[in-house]
Amino acid sequence: MVANPSLPSGRRARVLVAMSGGVDSSVAAAELVARGHEVIGATLKLFCYGDSVPDRPCCSLDSINDARSVCQALGIPHYVLNMEDRFSRDVIANFVAEYSRGRTPIPCVRCNSFTKFRDLLAHADALECDYLATGHYAVAREGRLYRGADPGKDQSYFLWGISRSVLPRLLTPVGGLTKAETRAHARQLGLVTADKPESVEICFVPDDDYVGVLEQHLPADAPALVPGPLVSTRGEVIGEHAGFARYTIGQRKGLPGGAGEPRFVVAIRPATREVVVGSADELLGHRVQLAELNWLADPLAEGDGCLVQLRYRARAVPATVVTVTEDRLDLALAVPVRAIAPGQSGVVFADDGQVLGGGVIA
Amino acid sequence: MPPTPIYLDHAATTPVRPEVVDAMLPYLGGTFGNPSSGHGFGRAARDGLERARAQVAESLGVAAREVYFTSGGTEGDNLAVLGAAWAAREAGRPMCAVVAATEHKAVLAAAHAVTRQGGQEVLLPVAPDGRLDMAALDAALAGRPSLVSVMWVNNETGVIQPLGAIAERCRTAGILFHSDLVAGFGKLPFSLTEVPLSLATITGHKLGAPKGIGALVVRDGVTLSPQVHGGSQQRGVRPGTENIAGAVALGCAVRLAWQEQARETARVTELRDLLAALLTAAVPDLRITGSTAPRAPHVLNLQVPGCDAQALLMHLDLAGIAASAGSACQTGAAEPSHVLTAMGVPPGLALSAVRLSLGHETTAEEVGRVAEVFPRAVAKVRALGLALSR
Repeated sequence: MVANPSLPSGRRARVLVAMSGGVDSSVAAAELVARGHEVIGATLKLFCYGDSVPDRPCCSLDSINDARSVCQALGIPHYVLNMEDRFSRDVIANFVAEYSRGRTPIPCVRCNSFTKFRDLLAHADALECDYLATGHYAVAREGRLYRGADPGKDQSYFLWGISRSVLPRLLTPVGGLTKAETRAHARQLGLVTADKPESVEICFVPDDDYVGVLEQHLPADAPALVPGPLVSTRGEVIGEHAGFARYTIGQRKGLPGGAGEPRFVVAIRPATREVVVGSADELLGHRVQLAELNWLADPLAEGDGCLVQLRYRARAVPATVVTVTEDRLDLALAVPVRAIAPGQSGVVFADDGQVLGGGVIA
Repeated sequence: MPPTPIYLDHAATTPVRPEVVDAMLPYLGGTFGNPSSGHGFGRAARDGLERARAQVAESLGVAAREVYFTSGGTEGDNLAVLGAAWAAREAGRPMCAVVAATEHKAVLAAAHAVTRQGGQEVLLPVAPDGRLDMAALDAALAGRPSLVSVMWVNNETGVIQPLGAIAERCRTAGILFHSDLVAGFGKLPFSLTEVPLSLATITGHKLGAPKGIGALVVRDGVTLSPQVHGGSQQRGVRPGTENIAGAVALGCAVRLAWQEQARETARVTELRDLLAALLTAAVPDLRITGSTAPRAPHVLNLQVPGCDAQALLMHLDLAGIAASAGSACQTGAAEPSHVLTAMGVPPGLALSAVRLSLGHETTAEEVGRVAEVFPRAVAKVRALGLALSR
């Protein structure tokens, strides 16, 4: 558990806590109240499904009401902050653009980088809050960010893009807990969200149907959504696909079956609308280039060793810095990694689980 | 300890007056009968109900038989708009609701329901000061609508519509005229003996009665088709066992408002003007919505350029001042107010508008404290706006 942050003035610290209406942020808020802080709860309204989609477990009116109930039970104020316009601009538009370029984006990374730890931080500043807290499973400590204690829930992978200057003001009260401990805590406190099911979907993508979201935002004849050639790694056309945005590197489903070895998507070429199919071996990568770099510690230098994680829930592998510039990090991987997908994040860790930085896979 | 919060959201709802609590308590205790029962318990309940009806009728200048208790403003508005439309249809005439663009959502949504049921809704524009476009009204009357509905005092801005002139035009045209009096009743002198309305809605909780009680005045000779169906209570126009305690509370609150109106109007007007003067001195670019129109004394709608209303309300709340942005919304949707939009206020300014509304409990000391806190909150939220735009 993180030490009680005290202010030099002896004043109670004021904390703005981002509350999704789920159990993690509920317990985070409860923990901060228990530590004696002056806590303000805020739920971000990031998008609107409209009337056609039934309520979701996240970001819906029910979630807002749950967050409000928890705050009322904790005796703290709660507000709804409408950030639909900014979220649409910074997160959804990029999500659509990345798929249009044949890449596989992670909107949660940009939501953290822009919506939560830039825009919400501006609110925290205006409210004269000393700290900003979230229910993330990651540990902010002494200006550094570490993996969360629960290996099954660790969310540090999604946080590489936040400003380093935020870290000294970031509180992560559940980062040191396992999910089971968080739930037990919530039950003990009688929080209405204690047994709420986990939300694993991308919040603005109903029923995991991301193509549906692309269809909403792109014209029907957008190159990413119209049929194109399926080609082998040797360049032979072996069939047709229904739009390259429907494919992700490493995908096996939806490809024409063959008698021989299993086939996977190994590349997407938006310029020719080609989806390239190859063997499992052809899916392995030994090098990775990261762009849009952000450092949460002092930048690595050429020849430095580190661990790099190239997908959420993937194992981090040892790597060596080949070259590093202001905006590009080239890493040689000590062991080959399967299905390195442009658009996903590459997150660089130290051996002790500290997040050193990261970038978007080029 | 933070100071006691200041409640400046009386247009959303008001505290229940102690006199009202005293009046209704017997009906939550021993006098529990059903007013439709023929025994002593029922007679006692009916006595309370009918005395309350008479109180409401007297203060509005109508006959007791013209007062129908409802659950509140939304029900009254729906019963008037849809009840008149259905009655027209039953008489073989088309359903058509003509309503001002600045009406409360209860009227707008009821008019929209008329359209969904095969009729028609017509929205009347307003001038930039919020007052009804009378030429548009004349044009709409020529279409022989089943009803015209224009509110008296706007709940968001306090702007007063020329009710007498509108009612007179409708009467001359032989068209039913309904007015939502919810925001204005008790705040200004008013009597239906002087204004020829066909239908009028009031509600209790803006007057110091609890939520869940209101009344619709249906003048003699006006036919409404019921919107709920049941027994013969209230002539079947609004059936269902009556909310006696609520009705008694409404009767008491209406009588208090009626008795105190002249004094309260003067007192609240003075406080409102003081508040407006102090705030505009501290925040010179503040704009008062509808400032050139006659306005009810208790509402001050302020456009604060460069300020997001949602954030401002949060800052005010944390500083102990409860206010709102127009009508209450539970989802925090960033939609500009339809009222301000209809007045031609651009979306950016409409999204900066907050409503401070005063009431019976508001004091000069509170106004002074608001005048200190409000400019500080504005400065912080403007700084936030600049930070977010970088």
